[in-house]
Amino acid sequence: MSAADTVTVEAGAPVRGWALPAIAVTLVAGMFGYLHTAHLDSIEARLLATDEILARTVEHVRLVAASTAAVIVIAVPLGVLLTRRRARLLAAPVLALANAGQAIPSIGVLVLLAILFDVGFAMAVIALVAYAALPVLRNTMIGLRQVDRSVIDAGRGMGMSPLQVLLKIELPLAVPVMIAGIRIALILNVGVATLATYTNAGGLGSLIESGIVFNRMPVLMTGSVLTVALALLVDWLAGLTEQVLRPRGL
Amino acid sequence: MSFLEYVDRNSDRIAFLTVQHVEVVLLSVAIAAVIGVGLGLATERAPRVRRALLAVTGTLLTIPSFALFGLLIPVLGLGLAPTVVTLTVYAVFPILRNTVTGLETVDPAVIDASRGMGLGSRQRLMLVRLPLAWPVILNGIRVATIMVVAIAAIGAAVRGPGLGELIFRGLSRIGGANAFNEAMSGVAGVVLVALTLDLLFVLIGRLTTPRGLHD
Amino acid sequence: MTDPTPSTPPPDVMIRLEGLAKRYPGQSADAVSALSMDIRRGEFVVFVGPSGCGKTTTLRMINRLVEPSAGRIWIDGEDVTDVDPDRLRRRIGYVIQQIGLIPHMTVAQNVGLVPRLLGWDKARIRDRVDELLDLVGLDPAVFRDRYPKQLSGGQQQRVGVARALAGDPPVMLMDEPFGAIDPITRDRLQDEFLKLQERIRKTIVFVTHDIDEALKLGDRIAIFGEGSRLAQFATPLEILSAPADDYVRSFVGSGAAIRRLGLLRVADIPGGGTPPSDGAVRVTEDHTVYAALEKMLESGTDRMVVGGNGRGERSLTLRDLLLAAARAKGEPR
Repeated sequence: MSAADTVTVEAGAPVRGWALPAIAVTLVAGMFGYLHTAHLDSIEARLLATDEILARTVEHVRLVAASTAAVIVIAVPLGVLLTRRRARLLAAPVLALANAGQAIPSIGVLVLLAILFDVGFAMAVIALVAYAALPVLRNTMIGLRQVDRSVIDAGRGMGMSPLQVLLKIELPLAVPVMIAGIRIALILNVGVATLATYTNAGGLGSLIESGIVFNRMPVLMTGSVLTVALALLVDWLAGLTEQVLRPRGL
Repeated sequence: MSFLEYVDRNSDRIAFLTVQHVEVVLLSVAIAAVIGVGLGLATERAPRVRRALLAVTGTLLTIPSFALFGLLIPVLGLGLAPTVVTLTVYAVFPILRNTVTGLETVDPAVIDASRGMGLGSRQRLMLVRLPLAWPVILNGIRVATIMVVAIAAIGAAVRGPGLGELIFRGLSRIGGANAFNEAMSGVAGVVLVALTLDLLFVLIGRLTTPRGLHD
Repeated sequence: MTDPTPSTPPPDVMIRLEGLAKRYPGQSADAVSALSMDIRRGEFVVFVGPSGCGKTTTLRMINRLVEPSAGRIWIDGEDVTDVDPDRLRRRIGYVIQQIGLIPHMTVAQNVGLVPRLLGWDKARIRDRVDELLDLVGLDPAVFRDRYPKQLSGGQQQRVGVARALAGDPPVMLMDEPFGAIDPITRDRLQDEFLKLQERIRKTIVFVTHDIDEALKLGDRIAIFGEGSRLAQFATPLEILSAPADDYVRSFVGSGAAIRRLGLLRVADIPGGGTPPSDGAVRVTEDHTVYAALEKMLESGTDRMVVGGNGRGERSLTLRDLLLAAARAKGEPR
């Protein structure tokens, strides 16, 4: 997992410009340059074949994409529902639970689900979703709650229905905080997906794991460097998306 | 065997690992606190350096801990060393950020009055600014601690100390009789450590927040 | 200080500013340009002017919270332009609008901070704190151990004044100290502060943008204009009677002649016949002419009997008051 989970409403200090993708590309290029020139033994050569690396990367991206998409589909509507008037009593305990859930280690969620149910891709996605839904749920609720009451009243006063108020006023104003939550979920997923190797779901973490198990430093380093590069790239893309989606005037 | 039976029979081992877990977390957070508060104070007159440090340490947070463990193994080997270094790296950002925020949000009128009374910059820091920033800094340390408690569980993947060992042992015995109990005791232990330390920080906050700042 | 140089100010001058100027980096104009003035020992001088006129910058240059770009500052016969600013500030009381009490320190700790820095012993600090709280009208037994948060705005500013007086500084700088306080409390604090000043006789430089506050408090008033021009530096009566130019006249506003009545005392009015027996109102020599007139108008009479102050009784007419007020051309109060 990554450590971003306790950085709550705001996601780290955003690094602007091209520093992050530049570092990521440099890392990947350097890695491949090294692999081409280095003398690799048979185990290393097998694990570090370009096809293999590509397959691990695709697995990783698929884990992240699937779980992030599921998180958005589940946690955003749930967050909206929990902030409606009728669910007011539920909101506080759910928020408290979401906060307390931070204390659960990601590897624990992954392993417990694997033991109780099954290993493999689907179960890993479920674990990622369970873990990363918390920040999205929380930020959706916080984002909707911090919308100025007077703006909502003004909307009601103009004769808007509750649904119109939600769609035209509340959601657009809550978007920045909600997106910050989604960004955290994305970063979390990139991190937790590295651990999915332990439940047979592949990903770049399996290179790191193999590197440790077989004591092969080139494999370990390749896995780590690629993971770092992917994390930086994803964070950068998330930052860009955040800027694009932020409503103008905020 | 039920979970509670398991815990009862293995209480010595679980207690030992819990203590280890707490120790490695507190050690890392202590180092990170020295670094974070130190950097926050050292960059008072270099706002650009300060912003760069915040950006870098903030970006480090987005790096998956498993990858950071991996990068450190060739240098530090397996076990305690890469665990402490990784946890420290993650813990620096919340502490540095809160140190900066805490110092920057002290009421400018209080600073102006202190200068006007003839307090030198050191005296202003020690008598006025640090005491006023302390609750915010402490909260940064608290956030860092809770975060690091959970990450420390992953340290077991590189043979680091602590409760993560129970989780990974449960994993390796998947399908076996006590796999769930073993992993669950690790997870529950980590959560318990986190909640206990959280409570401890609330207490420390109560005890060390200057009285005039309470509501 | 045994052999004063020629430029050393005479002993009755407490603060001398000489060609003082401030230009902030990157600005094309001076915030304060070539300002010179002498402020006498025990004098209450008010800087007044619109915002941006440099009055606060000038004030903050006196204790070097703003370092002057040019010029010199003397305090109590010593050139302090280049001395250690922290040591300098411990000898100068400083009160600001936002008060700036240190929130984690009690009232006693706030007031005792400068004495602590000056190395006083605990017993002496404690006595001093109690004495000062008494002086500003706060019961030490009640307020000593309170925190700033537990005080009203007016109480906080009393503590602010006490804190500024703690090291017994000869000079006090006050930057709109009553500006953020509600009008009724402000009026009371002003009155109390005037009484306090009669006892402590500090040299005070006081910044305000409120001309009425300036007229009420100042022995002399420095009216600042655009670009830190010193438009007039004179007593309140002089400013009301003989404004230096149109700028001062418009800054003071309408009703100068009427406002003058509030600055004159009955004692300032010469003459008077033997007291009549009936129908006159009674006032003392300490009444302002304004208050005396008000009493006469209320009772519908044109005569008053002045008594007290050991001068014996005398009687004045409405005409005496008006003539005297019209003639008053800025004699000191």
